[in-house]
Amino acid sequence: MSAMLLNKEKWPEFVGKLAGKNLWAPQPDGDALKFAPVADGAVPALDFRNTRVPPKQAVFPQTETMYRFQLGTEEIELPELNEETVVLGVRPCDARAMAIVEKLFRWDFDDPYYLERRGLVTLVGLACNEPGLNCFCPSVGGNPASTEGLDLLMVDLGDNYLLEPVTDKGEALLAETKELLEEAKADVQKEKEKVVAEAEKKIKRTVATEGVPEGLPGLWEDPLWQRVSAACLGCGTCTYLCPTCHCFDIQDETEGFDARRCRMWDSCMFEEYTLHTSGHNPRPTRRERTRNRINHKYSYYVDKFDVIACVGCGRCSNLCPVNIDIIEILRQVNEAL
Amino acid sequence: MDLEQLRKTAAEVVEREDVKYLIGWKKGTFGYRVAPAFVEDAAAAAELIFSPLCTANLATYLTLVEKLPLPRGEEADSRKVAIMVKGCDSRAVTQLLVEKGIKREGVVVIGCPCPGMVDPALLAEKYPESEEPAELKWNGEGFLLVSGGEEIKVARDELLAEKCRLCRYPNPVVSDIMLGDAVEPWKPAEDSSVTEIEGKDISGRSDYWEEQFTKCVRCYSCRNVCPLCYCQDCILDRLNPTWINRAVNFSENTAFNIARAFHLAGRCIECGECERVCPANIPLGRINRKLAREVRDKYGFEPGVDPEAEPFQASFKPDDPEDFIL
Repeated sequence: MSAMLLNKEKWPEFVGKLAGKNLWAPQPDGDALKFAPVADGAVPALDFRNTRVPPKQAVFPQTETMYRFQLGTEEIELPELNEETVVLGVRPCDARAMAIVEKLFRWDFDDPYYLERRGLVTLVGLACNEPGLNCFCPSVGGNPASTEGLDLLMVDLGDNYLLEPVTDKGEALLAETKELLEEAKADVQKEKEKVVAEAEKKIKRTVATEGVPEGLPGLWEDPLWQRVSAACLGCGTCTYLCPTCHCFDIQDETEGFDARRCRMWDSCMFEEYTLHTSGHNPRPTRRERTRNRINHKYSYYVDKFDVIACVGCGRCSNLCPVNIDIIEILRQVNEAL
Repeated sequence: MDLEQLRKTAAEVVEREDVKYLIGWKKGTFGYRVAPAFVEDAAAAAELIFSPLCTANLATYLTLVEKLPLPRGEEADSRKVAIMVKGCDSRAVTQLLVEKGIKREGVVVIGCPCPGMVDPALLAEKYPESEEPAELKWNGEGFLLVSGGEEIKVARDELLAEKCRLCRYPNPVVSDIMLGDAVEPWKPAEDSSVTEIEGKDISGRSDYWEEQFTKCVRCYSCRNVCPLCYCQDCILDRLNPTWINRAVNFSENTAFNIARAFHLAGRCIECGECERVCPANIPLGRINRKLAREVRDKYGFEPGVDPEAEPFQASFKPDDPEDFIL
């Protein structure tokens, strides 16, 4: 199916058509926003900039049960994953992040948990007309209407949403809702291009990446790492709110004889991250941990998967309690190169 | 405060042979951000500021510093650390002295009498930030916002941070050098947000905190920013035994948040940093101020005001009230 138009007045009906599926959308959470299941009959509003916590939880939950068991027995019970989920209002950067992270989960070993969930999730994107203060997606290979990782892209054209299918899942969603949609005429594409170009013009902050992936390892002992990490508190805000951060830890938890093995988000900014049993810590201070965070995103990942593992969503800069700003770090990296 | 005087004093302090570095505030990289500054020489003192945006309590850096094992034959750098403090921050320094978390001779405390800070989130909501760093100044009874060449006068009540509305100690309680004159303390507001929760019945309180703690992502920014959360071995990091599971859910999140609040009873100096840094917007100040209120009302104890005081949790008296024990 080609691109379609949905009149905004029909948005509640469109959501209604999807009733019965497990729907997720940005929801107010106090003063902030997060992706959460949509209550039956509720119509999520799409007038938001971006959520604080990215939608990566839809495929990579913060705590995930791998299997359950009874202490003293050898049988394990695997969780059943079969619920299809449709995530509405995913920003293009966050969808791109899922496409980038998937490369790792498909690398030397197909991660069943991640990939099964990924297969069950349909991502409906919403292009950004009003990028945020610290957005810099064009600097790292994205743009406000990127379709990478998405199944369907929605573009706000004022009275209508333009719906562009990207994958078969996106096509299927259009087929399910086709009586609400109109065929998009040829001039709609021009309108879309104009909206996207205007959005891109609003992005003020930039990062120069040329030569950075190759150059970063050479800056290993550069004084810049001390400078940029001096104020770091060692909390997990930057990594937990990062749509591409994907490190996890595995733990066994028991309650009486009921036990489960689960994996949960880990953060390279934590002191005990990869702490060896011997007591040796390969990254003993926040200087090495900050260096690792930047190198992982801008060098190691590029080396392995040929893509920068940062999508320019600006969350780490927005929410760092002590103004450690990834854009400023990259500026200093470029200066030192 | 006179910025020239601040920078001149700071430059003199960092030039002293017995001072390692000075911790102060500097302009951030965008919008209303202010960043902690670690000043090592007189030239770098020129970037220091003191403005209504300097909400951050820098006292946490006194205990957050990571010490690597020294190579054989090398001696530890035992020079002093200089630190700029507001009234609330100075209470953290005092409490650290009470607990012997730091040594008095190890710090040079530069006191900054504080006319009150703004709530940065409220400021950004009312006057949207831009990518250019903006400036905020005290202006008579209110604030003056200088952003993109424009000057906007803002009334004090419109933006004053909650912790500053409640503040009883705007002037540093401990200092080696005081910058400028003491400010006239204002009448602290009644802590209505704590009273409001106290007024709920038990299920109302339970529902309220369940909603709040469910939001927690366990980034531990509250613990790490807290100048008085400085245990070398935190129970949260313990795996054997695992006191608090790593799983993120209401039960474990509550165990974490309540454990932290209890450990701060009689120690929290109400600087509000936990609440400011929380990416999930959990009103952590309310739980800590509730315990501070209990300690004040029941035991007449106020932490972080007297460096010679006995630590509250180590000061049992036979006639201590115990009417709250079930």
